[in-house]
Amino acid sequence: MAKKYLIHFAIAHGEFRYPELQSISELFDFEIKLPESKDELDTSLPFLIVELEKDVHAQFIAQRCILVKAVYELWVVASSKEELHHRNHEISCLWKPFENQSFRFDVTAINHTIPMARQRDIIEDFAYMDYKGDIDMKNPSVVIAYFEEYPKKNILRRRNEGDGQFERVYFGRLVTESACRHLISKFNVKRRVYYGNTTMDAEISLLMANQALAAPGKLVYDPFVGTGSMLYTSAYFGAMVLGSDIDGRQMRGKNTSIPGIFQSAAQYEVLDRILDCCTFDITRSPLRRGNFLDAIISDPPYGVRAGAKRLGRGKQRVVEHPPAQNFESTASYAKVPYELSDLTADLVLLARYLLKKDGRLVWFLPTPTEEYQDVDIPVCEGMEVVANSEQNFGKWGRRLITMRKITSTEYASPSFDPEQRMQELGGNITLNPGHKDFREKYFARFKRIEDAETYIPTRD
Amino acid sequence: MVRLITHNLLACHVRGCTANNFPLVFRDVQIELKEAEFNEQFLRNFMPKIEWRTLVDTAKSLNDQSLPDQPPERENVNEEFLKTLHHVLLEIHVEEGAMACPNCGHVYPISNGIPNMLLQEHEL
Repeated sequence: MAKKYLIHFAIAHGEFRYPELQSISELFDFEIKLPESKDELDTSLPFLIVELEKDVHAQFIAQRCILVKAVYELWVVASSKEELHHRNHEISCLWKPFENQSFRFDVTAINHTIPMARQRDIIEDFAYMDYKGDIDMKNPSVVIAYFEEYPKKNILRRRNEGDGQFERVYFGRLVTESACRHLISKFNVKRRVYYGNTTMDAEISLLMANQALAAPGKLVYDPFVGTGSMLYTSAYFGAMVLGSDIDGRQMRGKNTSIPGIFQSAAQYEVLDRILDCCTFDITRSPLRRGNFLDAIISDPPYGVRAGAKRLGRGKQRVVEHPPAQNFESTASYAKVPYELSDLTADLVLLARYLLKKDGRLVWFLPTPTEEYQDVDIPVCEGMEVVANSEQNFGKWGRRLITMRKITSTEYASPSFDPEQRMQELGGNITLNPGHKDFREKYFARFKRIEDAETYIPTRD
Repeated sequence: MVRLITHNLLACHVRGCTANNFPLVFRDVQIELKEAEFNEQFLRNFMPKIEWRTLVDTAKSLNDQSLPDQPPERENVNEEFLKTLHHVLLEIHVEEGAMACPNCGHVYPISNGIPNMLLQEHEL
């Protein structure tokens, strides 16, 4: 029998909220029912009322959803004081069981401050509940929570203006506070032993690990591992991780006998779970088989800060002699540019080959805001889009795409060949997605081709 | 690292090298044994993906004889076997040296635990 729970969300990353909730419910195999109306699902609001079977499911949410601050068992939601108490009398069977336990009564307002005097009045109004237990501020058995939700302050108001004119009031029992938001600080890049200019921030890398359903027993791979930011969080959640990159220097750092990636992994005590990091190009990959990964997580190179390259023969004649001593530098290997729409299509094809059934591909697609359309996301038979969350930076943004392999068919390794790619994708792909030639568009500041004088396509 | 679990997944992909390109042969190795946390679920999940003969032979080439020539049947996979498998797959690290292709001879160097599997232009 489902009960109503109140989730208190952090305000940032609104578009990532529901995908994260859904991922965790899938990971721990429990049902969560979200409201259906668009108003209630507005992600600028701090609260969401959901239905769960039991408290332990709320614990799972608090364990892994980094956008969740706390979860409460919801006793009453109302739009006035009268309605609140009227309803509260009716559902006494929900709060009576706690009447002899030590408790604390928290009174809070969102977008407002309730003056001290009224806070006392509010608590007094609940005297009919007749709680006999001791009041314990430090370590109560139960925490009763009361929230008044006010509309966002658009204009400067005096501190207590509009006091009492809340939009909604919630009343319930704290089930659990977040058990994972401290990880945002733990994985803060500024305190990381090894990082670079392509390192992903902590909060996003945690969200990605959740989207990938990282957990003990799983094997997760990042094919553009760079400085490893995607590995640490998945490993922290229990997965074994594998990384590769065409540029060995990104994984090693400078002048050190212990590669930077391993140093950061040791800092987070997950070095054990890094299976290996290897230098190779995914288009010339040494992997001998597919169908063995549980997830692929990646922030592919857009070509802006990190040059997106792949090994390739140049127009000049073949050079026969072996590489110079500094063999780790990709400068000593022949390479050609890897245009973003080709790279992203290949990534999806590669995922289909390497993932087990139900495995997940979690990756960022950079998008020029004006040009993006949903059909731009490369899809192929056997792969399905599960979530699409945007981080908008103005003229461009990036979308965290979660895809799932829905078939147990074992596909061949992708060819990475421009002539065959279309066919491998199944033909129904946009020829000029918004992210095509992303690098050039970025450096032209996303002015359209029509602005001929300012659009100067450049190639290196 | 280069752990044997990873080595079991790597083949040579020089252009034209499509037969006898797996497994790669270790050379001039410097080994370190490092304890790793035992994860039964992971080992059970990964077992069907292992090329068993290669794993046994490669372990032997590194002086570890602990694995049986044939993996046990599913029902007989017990904790003792998994602990041995755990040790061979995850706790033997080739930190320095190289892996060579038995077919075309390409040498993939390993330095500080990271193997370089990039290919030269004439090999693409």
